[in-house]
Amino acid sequence: MLEIKNLKARIGDADILNGVSLSVNAGEVHAIMGPNGSGKSTLAQVIAGHADYEVTEGTVSYNGHDLLALEPEERAREGIFLGFQYPVEIPGVNNAYLLKAAVNAKREHQGLEEIDAFEFLKLAREKMAVLGMDPKFLNRGVNEGFSGGEKKRNEILQMAMLEPSLAILDETDSGLDIDALKAVAGGVNALRDPERAIVLVTHYQRLLDYVEPDFVHVLSEGRIARSGDKSLALELEEKGYEWVREAANA
Amino acid sequence: MSRRSLPIDALDRTVAALSDDALAEARHAALAQFKKRGFPTTRNENWKYTDLSKVIELSRRSLQTSTDAERPDIDRIRELQASIDAGWLVIANGKLNRDLSTTLDEDGIEVSPLRLDSKDLRLEDPLADLNLALLKQGLSLRIAANRSTDRPIALLIVDSAGTAPVLSQVRIDIELQANAEIRFIEYHVSAGDDEHYSNAHINVIARPNARADYLRFQDRALHHSQTARLNVQLETDSEISYCGIDLGGRLTRNDLKIDILGQGASAIFDGLYIAAEGQHVDNHTRVDHRVGPAVSAQEYRGILNGHCRAIWNGKAIVHAGADGTDAQQANHNLLLSEHAEIDAKPELEIYADEVKCAHGTTVGQLDEQALFYLRSRGLDRDRAKRVLTRAFATSIVNKSPIPELHDLIGNAVEQRLRELATGVPQ
Repeated sequence: MLEIKNLKARIGDADILNGVSLSVNAGEVHAIMGPNGSGKSTLAQVIAGHADYEVTEGTVSYNGHDLLALEPEERAREGIFLGFQYPVEIPGVNNAYLLKAAVNAKREHQGLEEIDAFEFLKLAREKMAVLGMDPKFLNRGVNEGFSGGEKKRNEILQMAMLEPSLAILDETDSGLDIDALKAVAGGVNALRDPERAIVLVTHYQRLLDYVEPDFVHVLSEGRIARSGDKSLALELEEKGYEWVREAANA
Repeated sequence: MSRRSLPIDALDRTVAALSDDALAEARHAALAQFKKRGFPTTRNENWKYTDLSKVIELSRRSLQTSTDAERPDIDRIRELQASIDAGWLVIANGKLNRDLSTTLDEDGIEVSPLRLDSKDLRLEDPLADLNLALLKQGLSLRIAANRSTDRPIALLIVDSAGTAPVLSQVRIDIELQANAEIRFIEYHVSAGDDEHYSNAHINVIARPNARADYLRFQDRALHHSQTARLNVQLETDSEISYCGIDLGGRLTRNDLKIDILGQGASAIFDGLYIAAEGQHVDNHTRVDHRVGPAVSAQEYRGILNGHCRAIWNGKAIVHAGADGTDAQQANHNLLLSEHAEIDAKPELEIYADEVKCAHGTTVGQLDEQALFYLRSRGLDRDRAKRVLTRAFATSIVNKSPIPELHDLIGNAVEQRLRELATGVPQ
């Protein structure tokens, strides 16, 4: 589904990604771990199409097409979802409005009719109940005045409504208390599907207790320094990131 | 004859032709004062950015041709009246139109012709002098003590210009007696193809513990010019919650002056202006905190596109002894074009000791991170921009004081923003 080859990217004068190669197939859950500044978030943003990052080398193909040639909105409509590390507050834009606009943008792209208003509301309420969100959040400004946990749940709600083929969750677990973490993990697990791939970008092993990954990769200095199964996450937790860096440089 | 003045004989003739009523003496006094001072010029600090040459030229032609204005568009007014549940006072081309006005003879709301004599003049502004000198008819509204009503009073100020430029004056004095609570809508529209200059002057006095919700909505034709003054006096524990929204007009100048005269008074006033190619919109606000504790807070927002100019000048004066004053000012501007110009100037003058004052001004473009967020959810760039631009305006619309009009205003704002994006119909 997603094939990243020797990806190099920079922001301004700073090289962040220095040759990342990664292959993600449908049905798989990948965890990308690494210390702060290792390039985890950059990788997520580049896949989603953030204009601040300049790709200097390498390729990213998605379902056989050149992903880097697509605008961010085209990537979204093709089924890519980025759960933001810092979801943006947009006062004055109703949460329900954005959800509906997002769902309909994708449906239009698929040649489907707009979602029925009643269906939409029913679906949104169902998903919110699963995530433990008060339906009142639908009528609030997007992330406006939301707590950290509420923002992350809202990201998962958007993901649940959009049913992406490839979901990339950028530090969705950071700053969550245990209840919120469980709710978010539940939302992610509900989406696990043979047709869908999930990439979890995370600093800590904690989330992986609840969402079990098939593969774990450790990013260090803009490269994947190590890959393995879920036991790698536990090893990391025990030995720290310094271990990977030393091993990579050795 | 100077470019800054109007033909004296035509002015004299026009004033003399107005009816010999309870305003006659005041008109002549105002005329004498206006003749001395003429229109304000850009040499005056308060008018530095707003040049009235066009208004003067238009006024001159209007006085010399003295054509009658077009009749108001009755159907449109009826339609508007049907969409807003309110008691209506319709002032068409400067005169109360009794046919279009609905009855306000409810208990405790008294509408009468304005009566002034020369000693009532508050000659602080040449445009107020011009207003009074040429005033065909003024209105006085008195809301009786303890009177409280949910149904708004709507002042529809409608001006229509036909084949020649037209000049109209509106003057309304509103008194809310003690404990009265009232909701006002001041709604400006215009019709007709030719140029128009409207000059309005409204005074509000809120007696102790009175409360006014006040929405001013201006959606005039783009070839109309307007100047408007709203003076508000707040006595002890009285409150005003005001929002002024300007969408149309070639040249718009609003002067909002609030005098806090009693402890415990509160003035919340917000504004929204949207300007495109060729428009000029100038908001001058001034709050005089004469006693404390009392609160004033204002937030003005502007959206500008194309060659246009906006001015926001917010002055707050905390007079000696007005301890306990809380005065907040904010002005935020969204510039969608490099040709748009904003002059934003907060002014705080503080002569008291125990005060809390703050101001903030921003001028910027749409937030790139928010744009990316929306695009990452599948909205294309143009749509994401429209959504964010509307959201910028919505935050003012949604806190404006007459909630049942939020949809109507929101739709008008959206329509205006669409025109902004696609080029303005002239």
